[in-house]
Amino acid sequence: MSQNLITEEKVYEELKKAIVETLRVDESSITPESSLINDLGAESLDFLDINYRLEQAFGMKMARHFVLEHIEDMFGEGAAIDEDGRLTEKAIELLKIRFGENVPDLKPGMDMDEVPALLTVKSMTQGVMDILQSLPEKCTKCGGPEWKTEDGVKIKCASCGENAAFTNGDDLIKAWLTRVQEEKKIF
Amino acid sequence: MHILKDKVVLITGSSRGIGREIAKQCALKGADIVVNYRKTGGSSQSKAEELCREVEAMGHRAVTIQADIASKQSVKNLFHETRDKMGKLDFLILNAARAPFKPLEKLLERELKQLVDTNYLGNIFCIQAALPMLEESEGGIIFISSLGSRFYNPAYPLGSMKAAMESVTRDCAESLRGKHISVNAVCGGIVKTDSFKVLRQFWDNIETLPADLFVEPEEIADVVLFLCSEASRGITGQTIVVDKGLSNAICRMN
Repeated sequence: MSQNLITEEKVYEELKKAIVETLRVDESSITPESSLINDLGAESLDFLDINYRLEQAFGMKMARHFVLEHIEDMFGEGAAIDEDGRLTEKAIELLKIRFGENVPDLKPGMDMDEVPALLTVKSMTQGVMDILQSLPEKCTKCGGPEWKTEDGVKIKCASCGENAAFTNGDDLIKAWLTRVQEEKKIF
Repeated sequence: MHILKDKVVLITGSSRGIGREIAKQCALKGADIVVNYRKTGGSSQSKAEELCREVEAMGHRAVTIQADIASKQSVKNLFHETRDKMGKLDFLILNAARAPFKPLEKLLERELKQLVDTNYLGNIFCIQAALPMLEESEGGIIFISSLGSRFYNPAYPLGSMKAAMESVTRDCAESLRGKHISVNAVCGGIVKTDSFKVLRQFWDNIETLPADLFVEPEEIADVVLFLCSEASRGITGQTIVVDKGLSNAICRMN
């Protein structure tokens, strides 16, 4: 549990700041529903920049690989993307669970290059929240049970001041995939 | 000293990173600049336009031209427009690169093709299309390489393309010798630009490398300036490594 030290609003604000600094767009043009690529003009290198800024701010590690790459790693080559770079039915089923049923264009045969455009400010905020919620029960250094934040972004141990050790974004995606697979037996 | 006064320099992929720095440093030495970027409507276009304004503020001419070097037609347009707007070309800096960050064996056929299309064919399209102007100016071509051309980097299929281009550098230096066009390359070590943010994703402890082993973009740009200058007239077909000594030592005693 994150002990509610960092709110979703705070994450949203930090993400907006990272987007404004990276893409030099006007803050007022950013909404939770904005697609970073389609609406805000982000390109692939920009995501690294935005992630880097978030990692520096919150002291955690964002996912290095998108969910599709994890599917391929866990369930075999071709499980998510066919030889022509198109999404399989199973990959679509999984993305619908992750991004919601109502995302337009989410259908088998979709080109893999179109997937990053699904990332919205809201889904990235959620991604950061997931990582922050992986805050361990106790400090890994001194075993202290209390956490604190002085600047509203970095969580530290209330006893020894050590930075909180969050689960990284990739491990969270893997754990999520394992859970979904156990429940739904997609692959 | 304005060693590039009245010279026109075109840098492919110059909206960000090393290309951007080269553009700025060339402008500081007096050059007029052609800023090239690939994608319309995205962040690189706005960054390219911002760079253009910076160069203009230094009192030099600057234009942005959109072109995807992987497309031969797009490259033709890039150089036509350069002639139209700038009248000539003195130096072509081949800096643009584009690659997925996956091990080679995991690349789909289309990713492999894109790798070659941009990073090998695209550069050669640029050389071919620039030749008439470079012949007139007796100018030069400088390719921006990286240590990936000769050392393993995790998830860096671009390395093999950089190696190919260092070979192209040697080839063209000889075949263009009669036309008085110089061809050389600068091979950068670990430079803290946008692409470095990729590297750190696959190379967990990279940030623990001593700070003095990281190359500044200006340090790459300075060697490009040297290769654009009369002082480098004796150098041809070479790749100059600018890596703060990173590749020199198998072991480092701190």
